[in-house]
Amino acid sequence: MIRRQALLHLLYWFAFAQGGVIAAVLIPVHVLIQGILGPLGVVPVVDRHYDTWVRVLGNPLVKLYLLVLIAVPFFHFAHRLRYLLVDLGVPAAKGAPAQAVFYGGAVLVTLVTIWVLLTTVPISFG
Amino acid sequence: MSSEALVPSPHRGEGEGEGRESREYRWRMPANWWTRSRRYFLYVVREFTALPLALWLLWLLVEIKRAGDGPARYSPHGSAAFVVFSVIVLLFALYHSFTFLTLAGTIIHLRFIDRPVPASLIVLSQFALWAVASGVIAFVLIWFGR
Repeated sequence: MIRRQALLHLLYWFAFAQGGVIAAVLIPVHVLIQGILGPLGVVPVVDRHYDTWVRVLGNPLVKLYLLVLIAVPFFHFAHRLRYLLVDLGVPAAKGAPAQAVFYGGAVLVTLVTIWVLLTTVPISFG
Repeated sequence: MSSEALVPSPHRGEGEGEGRESREYRWRMPANWWTRSRRYFLYVVREFTALPLALWLLWLLVEIKRAGDGPARYSPHGSAAFVVFSVIVLLFALYHSFTFLTLAGTIIHLRFIDRPVPASLIVLSQFALWAVASGVIAFVLIWFGR
């Protein structure tokens, strides 16, 4: 039982740490380019036009990258927000139902991301 | 249930809390504890960065989903409100990056030829990784957008 708990903690902490690193290293440049400079017309950005966006979204490596970029940080976010609630005086956030909601939410985002990436634009190697 | 469980313990009352109501831990911190110190405030801001970043990633997921609308109906987000939202998210994102990558100096302990690698060097390597990754991603996003 203790070994199982230790293994779960290992998985939680691995997901938490990797999510934190990916969020720290990858997200700011996406927000800057796709959220600010692209919409302002300062630089051409891949998602501003249908043709360029669909062309890259069909690439399997891009799909894999986007899955990692979007899904993995949610395991980090789930942990941080749950403990933020605990720190702000919501002890219920420690309980099993809250864990199911937060980590289950991260799993749900992962599944939805996989579904969106596989159904939106077909995989192409061109 | 065995009959022994119904017999009162000879030690009843000796253990702290025995015989009283449950001694569940009660929250005693005032609700505004995090506004009383700059460090506490920054700690809460650091933890809170997760929320705007999560919202922005969900937006990105919507932007990907929109590619399925077809060429005639596709219209990327570009309103002033969205740009303002992104600027706010960027500030939170930078704060997360700065605090998280700085932590590496405390968490990661490496040895090189029997000497510990200085924490400042580890932090510097993390920031270098961040800079290189940002440069590559910016190049790809712009290059394939031409």
